[in-house]
Amino acid sequence: MILMLADTLAKEAAGQNLLAIFFAAAITDNILLTRFLGMCSFLSISSQMRASIGLGLAVIFVTACTGAINAALYWFVLIPLERYGVPASSLQLILFIVVIAAFVQLLEMVIERVSLGLYFALGVFLPLITVNCAILGANLFLINKNLTVFEGFVYSAGAGAGWAVAIILMAGIRIRLKTARIPAALEGPGITLIICGIMALAFIGLSGLIK
Amino acid sequence: MKHIPQERRIVERMVPGVLCLEGFLGSDPRSLSEIIETDRRALEDIGLDCQSVARRLEKVYEIAVANLERPVQVGTDLEAVHLSAMGRIPCPWGGCGLWPKGDVVLTDRTTGRVYRFTALSMHLIGLHGFFQGRGHRYRLEPDEIARLLGLGKEGSQ
Amino acid sequence: MRELQIVLIATAVVCGVCTVLTVLLLLAERFIANYGRCTIDINQGARRLEVRGGSPLLGTLMEEGVFIPSACGGKGSCGECKVKVLAGGGPIAPTEAPLLSDQQRTANLRISCQVKVRNDMAIEVPPELFSVREYQAVVERIVDLTHDIKELRLKLIEPGEIEFTAGQYIQLKAPPYAHNEAVYRAYSVASPPDEKDHLELIIRLVPGGICTTWVFEHLTEGHTVSLNGPYGKFRLSDSDREMVWIAGGSGMAPFWSMVRFMKAHNIARKCTYFFGAVRKRDLFLVDELRQLERELDWFTFVPALSGPAAEDNWSGETGLITEVVDRHIADGSNMEGYLCGSGGMIDAAVKVLLKKGIAEDCIFYDKFT
Repeated sequence: MILMLADTLAKEAAGQNLLAIFFAAAITDNILLTRFLGMCSFLSISSQMRASIGLGLAVIFVTACTGAINAALYWFVLIPLERYGVPASSLQLILFIVVIAAFVQLLEMVIERVSLGLYFALGVFLPLITVNCAILGANLFLINKNLTVFEGFVYSAGAGAGWAVAIILMAGIRIRLKTARIPAALEGPGITLIICGIMALAFIGLSGLIK
Repeated sequence: MKHIPQERRIVERMVPGVLCLEGFLGSDPRSLSEIIETDRRALEDIGLDCQSVARRLEKVYEIAVANLERPVQVGTDLEAVHLSAMGRIPCPWGGCGLWPKGDVVLTDRTTGRVYRFTALSMHLIGLHGFFQGRGHRYRLEPDEIARLLGLGKEGSQ
Repeated sequence: MRELQIVLIATAVVCGVCTVLTVLLLLAERFIANYGRCTIDINQGARRLEVRGGSPLLGTLMEEGVFIPSACGGKGSCGECKVKVLAGGGPIAPTEAPLLSDQQRTANLRISCQVKVRNDMAIEVPPELFSVREYQAVVERIVDLTHDIKELRLKLIEPGEIEFTAGQYIQLKAPPYAHNEAVYRAYSVASPPDEKDHLELIIRLVPGGICTTWVFEHLTEGHTVSLNGPYGKFRLSDSDREMVWIAGGSGMAPFWSMVRFMKAHNIARKCTYFFGAVRKRDLFLVDELRQLERELDWFTFVPALSGPAAEDNWSGETGLITEVVDRHIADGSNMEGYLCGSGGMIDAAVKVLLKKGIAEDCIFYDKFT
């Protein structure tokens, strides 16, 4: 349903470009299932539904915000510097990582101050997120796609949402797996990777629908 | 491999020197969930579950404690003695209360093998299915202890 | 030259961005994570503390000299450091939730090492905790009492004296010595309270125990140790009822303090001390207590072995300590029971004393197990 919706929306309305960007990032170009980024926390955390939802929400938030910040950094600092011969692509990786790490730290402090409830719900996941490669990946892809700051924000929110959808789906499947009889050698990460591959097949079928 | 935050917190408390000097994992290289899963299967293979082992251990524990450190027969060739200790130790899972320290030492007179467990061991086995890591003083091999206590295939035949 | 320029600019940009981020984080710490001065009101105005916010309640109170007993030293695993928080505690953190029962939650109890001081707070603590201080002491003597029990004699340095009543306990701090973190463990004081500048502790080795292993394998005479106390409500009652003391192992400590205190103050209250062990090698201080028994007509000492070996040549009482108590006491209706030992022993002893007619509120013990 959502896929069809995204598709039609993308085809029909060029004005609703932002929506297309969002759904492309979340569904057809799912960062986890088509690019296999952020696998580490995906494999281990997806064994619990509650934790998956919490981590998913935290990833959406952090990816969206750092996407916007890093896009701004790229367009307003690195590109102007190319005049002096410094290629923007050589600095983006290291700067993006630093920005993400600092942002997560900052976010932790702000959340603790503003809403203790939210802090207790997301607090444990924030340190995990700093090293989540899906976030860095989304940040770098939006540069490749030449997206503006606001588009970048929408794109990375979509990428985060896609990651969250994938992990929550997987957590749902793994609840069922608990009662299934799985060959001992495939227990845990093994079977998760296989399922992940099957899910990826489904998603790859959609890739490239929205450019 | 990253752990779920909750599991990470548990494993952090199982490290030597946090709750007790030797920790809980011994020299076992496996992850916590792997240890628990393997032991559960070992018991399942002989038609048992962790709760029944824990219940049987509790019976032995009660007898040993009632004898206040004096060795006591608990089976044909099985001797138990409770070495009491002051103080209580929390469960590494947290929130399961505090468990009295003090070992029950089980000696199998036919083989001369010695097995040790505590009130916390019984709780870990019964509620969390955790028999501790291999190489630990309180590690009990699930099928072995079940046989020793007359549970499982031999017991049911 | 152009390459050098590029390298310099690139380095400058990276440094510049990092500096901006660092300044941002420092500012955030200064303004967002700064909770300023907070007031902690203890026991409705009995004490008011002005503290810097932002740290856990347990540590903040400790810095101000209010010691809450805690076994794990603030790691949120033992749940011992519960404190009644009447106001300003905020929502219950996920790290506290598993350590609190519904009952405790409705009683406003919180795990003080997991509650951060974020604003003004009002809390309630038992008033006797106000007299708890932190002490530095030097190990004057370590004596082997049995193969697994040692006596530790400490000379207090700073502060030089301690006020306590016979039967109370202190918490000894085991510093990091292997791969452990610092922990506090409770030990009853064995020396009489009149000796204000010394403390004696009777410590039995707990296999795998962080503190006892340290005492047994690392602590030597001349070492400086930290401790805090006194804690506990275990003490002689004000009545003049006849007393039954029952102990085993290191449970000797409070009674060794009490009997010497009573002797020093001429408290001639009739008292029978039952001490249980398995074999002769587990007995200690027997000669000293027998000597006291001869000197004091109100004091009777009954050591008993539950499993004497042939070579022990034991002619005294045999059997579980509870069986011996059962044989010795006819009517306990006007007696008081004092117990110290492992949980199993205390449970069994309480049962016997109740059977003998001792009222439940006349049986006293600090249950460490």
